[in-house]
Amino acid sequence: MAADSEPESDVFEITDFTTASEWERFISKVEEVLNDWKLIGISSGKPLEKGVYTTGTWEEKSDKISFADFRFSITHHYLVQEASDKDGKEELVEDALPLSMQDLLCMNNDFPPRAHCLVRWYGLREFVIIAPASNHDAILSESKCNLLLSSISIALGNTGCQIPLFVQIHPKWRRMYVGECQGPGVRTDFEMVHLRKVPNQYTHLSGLLDIFKSKIGCPLTPLPPVSIAIRLTYILQDWQQYFWPQQPPDIDALVGGEVGGLEFGKLPFGACEDPISELHLATTWPHLTEGILVDNDVYSDLDPIQAPQWSVRVRKADNPQCLLGDFLTEFFKLCRRKESTDEILGRSTFEEDGKESADITHALSKLTEPAPVPIHRLSVTNMVHSAKKKIRKHRGVDESPLNNEVLSTILSFLFPDAAEKLTDGSETRPTTSRNNPPPESEEYNLYSQFKSAPSDSLTYKLALCLCMINFYHGGVKGVAHLWQEFVVEMRSRWEKNCLIPGLASGAPDLRCCLLHQKLQMLNCCIERKKARDEGKKAYTPDRSPSASSGDTGKAIDHSVGDYQKETEKEKGEVGKSWESWSDSEEEFFECLSDTEELKGNEQENGKKGGTKEGSKESANLKPEGRLHPHGKLTLLHPGEPLYIPITQEPAPMTEDLLEEQSEVLAKLGTSAEGAHLRARMQSACLLSDMESFKAANPGCCLEDFVRWYSPRDYIEEEVLDEKGNTVLKGELSARMKIPSNMWVEAWETAKPIPARRQRRLFDDTREAEKVLHYLAVQKPADLARHLLPCVIHAAVLKVKEEESLEDIPSVKKIIKQIISHSSKVLRFPNPEDKKLEEIIAHIMSAEATIARARSLKAKFGIDKCDQEEEKEDLERFVNCLVEQPEVSVIGAGRGAAGRIIHKLFVNAQTMTESSDEVAAMTTLDEEPKRSGSSDERRLNLGAVADFPPPAGRELILRTTVPRPAPYSKPLPQRMYSVITKEDFQLAGAFSADTTFF
Amino acid sequence: MVTLKLIVVGDSGVGKSSLLLRFTDDMFEPYLNPTIGVDFKVKKMVVDGNLVQLAIWDTAGQERFRTLTPSYYRGAQGVILVYDVTRKDTFAKLITWLNELEMYATRSNSVRMLVGNKIDKPDREVNKREGLQFARKHSMLFIETSAKTRDGVQCAFEEVVRKILQTPGLWDKDTQKCGVQLETAAHSEEDFCGGYCTLT
Repeated sequence: MAADSEPESDVFEITDFTTASEWERFISKVEEVLNDWKLIGISSGKPLEKGVYTTGTWEEKSDKISFADFRFSITHHYLVQEASDKDGKEELVEDALPLSMQDLLCMNNDFPPRAHCLVRWYGLREFVIIAPASNHDAILSESKCNLLLSSISIALGNTGCQIPLFVQIHPKWRRMYVGECQGPGVRTDFEMVHLRKVPNQYTHLSGLLDIFKSKIGCPLTPLPPVSIAIRLTYILQDWQQYFWPQQPPDIDALVGGEVGGLEFGKLPFGACEDPISELHLATTWPHLTEGILVDNDVYSDLDPIQAPQWSVRVRKADNPQCLLGDFLTEFFKLCRRKESTDEILGRSTFEEDGKESADITHALSKLTEPAPVPIHRLSVTNMVHSAKKKIRKHRGVDESPLNNEVLSTILSFLFPDAAEKLTDGSETRPTTSRNNPPPESEEYNLYSQFKSAPSDSLTYKLALCLCMINFYHGGVKGVAHLWQEFVVEMRSRWEKNCLIPGLASGAPDLRCCLLHQKLQMLNCCIERKKARDEGKKAYTPDRSPSASSGDTGKAIDHSVGDYQKETEKEKGEVGKSWESWSDSEEEFFECLSDTEELKGNEQENGKKGGTKEGSKESANLKPEGRLHPHGKLTLLHPGEPLYIPITQEPAPMTEDLLEEQSEVLAKLGTSAEGAHLRARMQSACLLSDMESFKAANPGCCLEDFVRWYSPRDYIEEEVLDEKGNTVLKGELSARMKIPSNMWVEAWETAKPIPARRQRRLFDDTREAEKVLHYLAVQKPADLARHLLPCVIHAAVLKVKEEESLEDIPSVKKIIKQIISHSSKVLRFPNPEDKKLEEIIAHIMSAEATIARARSLKAKFGIDKCDQEEEKEDLERFVNCLVEQPEVSVIGAGRGAAGRIIHKLFVNAQTMTESSDEVAAMTTLDEEPKRSGSSDERRLNLGAVADFPPPAGRELILRTTVPRPAPYSKPLPQRMYSVITKEDFQLAGAFSADTTFF
Repeated sequence: MVTLKLIVVGDSGVGKSSLLLRFTDDMFEPYLNPTIGVDFKVKKMVVDGNLVQLAIWDTAGQERFRTLTPSYYRGAQGVILVYDVTRKDTFAKLITWLNELEMYATRSNSVRMLVGNKIDKPDREVNKREGLQFARKHSMLFIETSAKTRDGVQCAFEEVVRKILQTPGLWDKDTQKCGVQLETAAHSEEDFCGGYCTLT
């Protein structure tokens, strides 16, 4: 070998590289890379354990090198091994064979289920490949190939690298590699043959043994025994007796009224086609010695049923069409639509609808108002809808994307209260959430992780409906249509004071998605407006005051129920004052016009006269707006019981409002003035409470207020009075006494005004309009973005539910990962599309896995299995099939699973035999002789054609013989061959002694 | 620069505003106006070489304001829960505050610190061990401080910030590396040729 280029001498000699050729430069590049990757020197490692090629991790690193202007990639593939222990080093003998050569003979990792082809052919644990960098380039000519081979030979020799180095030649798909491995005094050449058709004499063991022996050319007689490993692979494609059970859902059934809206609350699940396409059975004879069995062109001992090892892998259908996945993907696509609702439905539709509904609403309310028996409001909503539909029909606008039936089914699903006939005319409250406290389960609380909405909420249901409509009922048009109807319904509920069902009461839940918060906000507005209007309505002479006060009290503060008893005696007053409500002036929380107020007072005074306990001097300040006494506390000065006033609820806020507000507050800065201003801005609530307090407790002072509001700022001490008794003496805390303290300031400005006459802290009219506007301008894409978390939430629950039926550990793991991933992604505003796609892809893969497991269970007839033990074994086996690339069959052909597989093949065979026999025979004649054909014939001759001809025959032949001369060192020799329908490949590794030859 | 949001909560009069005033301005006033609603302070500091801007929301402790303040828990990476070591009742109320946090905090992994304040005062009612136990039970950081004497104040805030910086995904919005990698298995199948790629 020409190693001249190495400047190794210490002598001062001039080495001239100025004329270095491209070739030399290429070699030095290769050497450089090998050096960089530290692949130089004696390779060390432990003997390979059984199956480590499957269980271990494979890694690779690559670099680019070029020969002149031809670019190559050089890649190092290797099995990751723990750093070998130090004691291994000591064993290193100077002239030990390189590890790769030892690996050639190792039988622990034959036929790995998933590995690089070189690993499969040669059993190598690491190797380096030089291949053309571009997929279109190929080394075709023999001289180029030889040039590369000599290059690597030189590079290996120069560096002392013991790792096999391969060159890929011919187009990449042919997977042709030639290579070399060098050790001290030894060399292994890796050579290959790749043919389209198998020469007839090489289709069986005896022929291949002949090649192997002639290739070794061993001068010894008798030849040392050759060890043989054989694997035959059979493919089952025909599952005929098991048709795929899952049919795509019947769309028409959903449209039909009888199925009911319930279907809209569910997501579909499962594959529409068989997600398992093929079963590959590999029958293996792992360790045979030459002469043990016969396999030649007339007879074969290789009966798959007798094979000592069976393993199975399934081929999954590529992207099987799965319903849930399709639903999700389609819904996600909505997010990218640009059109607004108007553009989709035609510009004028929305306006007209709005007007129209307003008109009708008006008309209907005119009709209903004077009616002596109050018609339930919800039915009004229904009437509006049906009326609208009629009108639409009259106008001939029937091209609306959703037909009436579907629409009404959905609407009655979303708004079940509208369908219920409530005869007692009682209040409709958001029953779901209030009456049935939601289960505190982890699943239920998923919404706070996903920032979606509770699974029993309107928002969640809406998301599912939109998902369904998007898929089955008109796509984006249908979505726009339903949304428009939804917004109309929201407005009509606001106008009709009718609470929206399916939303938890109270302030918007900030853990939910913004849309949900908006709806909750609207509900807050409706609730307040309703309370106000009902208060006004309650002013009917025939109604008992106590009843009305009960109602209104509840509306104002829910906690009132707890104190009903205490308020009992007050009801008279409260009821009367509320009689005179008017909302003509919306400025006020609950407003009394001045005259009525006066009247009320007069009435009050006339009735009560001086009957009520209390001091005469406070007669002009009659207590108002009391909620209940505050324990046993009494006012400091008049000594009357201290009453907690009815107060205004603080304004509910959605997260966007809150964001705005905190931004404003933060903008005030951190200066003293800023802080002061900030406090002042937020003191509205404090002031309002003070006013209510003053109204409820005539003659009170700040100390009284503080005792209720901030009890720690009233400090009581036991002191001895002049008579020697201990008495409690209290005073405001020092900080409350700070002059110009905002509390004192507020107290001084506060007038005794009960909550209902105060300026409203929360302008429900304005807020409701804001929400309604917000809803109206949402495009379908916005909507999809709002609701995607709900849909993902629902999908995860669905997958979870389906998984629990099958119990697949890997899916459990995926679900966990999906949840943790989603809760990270969805919590931030505007998550990236890529991440959302990832989540959806994971859900789809979980779905596909479950579908596969189901398909396999059906195929292996697990449900039909009677024996408990056998059933368990089978279940375990099927689960492994889903999760592992290849599963060995316990008991091979005689085990429970083996028998079933055998039967599957037999069934498939009899079908093909009986129907296609004639056809098969004719094609056989036409076709030139091929691997399959001879097998087929043989099997046909043998009468027992339980299995089809093997789709693949793999053989590994191994031996250790001296080469090339009888006095050479005995070295490992190996040949791998594979015969498939279209390919015949031989891969040989032949070692030779380079010292004694 | 990293901007972090902290929120200080706890019963009225435990010294939340004083603690904050000591931390941001290194001042102490024996009597501060009772906070109304929420107040806001900003402070820049360097923790482990990271320049951090803290936006700290100070809240009112009064029951009545409690309906207002939870809104500010949103997005806070750190929560400082304060009680007064001289008043047992403020310690007993901690659990209510924690429940509230559970309800409203939007980040499940936000850092929580328990602070026992006013240790300069003689009439202690809650000893350190109790505080420690509570913090351990609810996996929080714990420290005792005195806004008056400066003890522990700086340290408390620093520790919270340090912990936030150490918590992955809490302050760095790009969580790309945190995401799960499920695809690896799928890809490798293509790179390696299985038994019969040519067949199948």
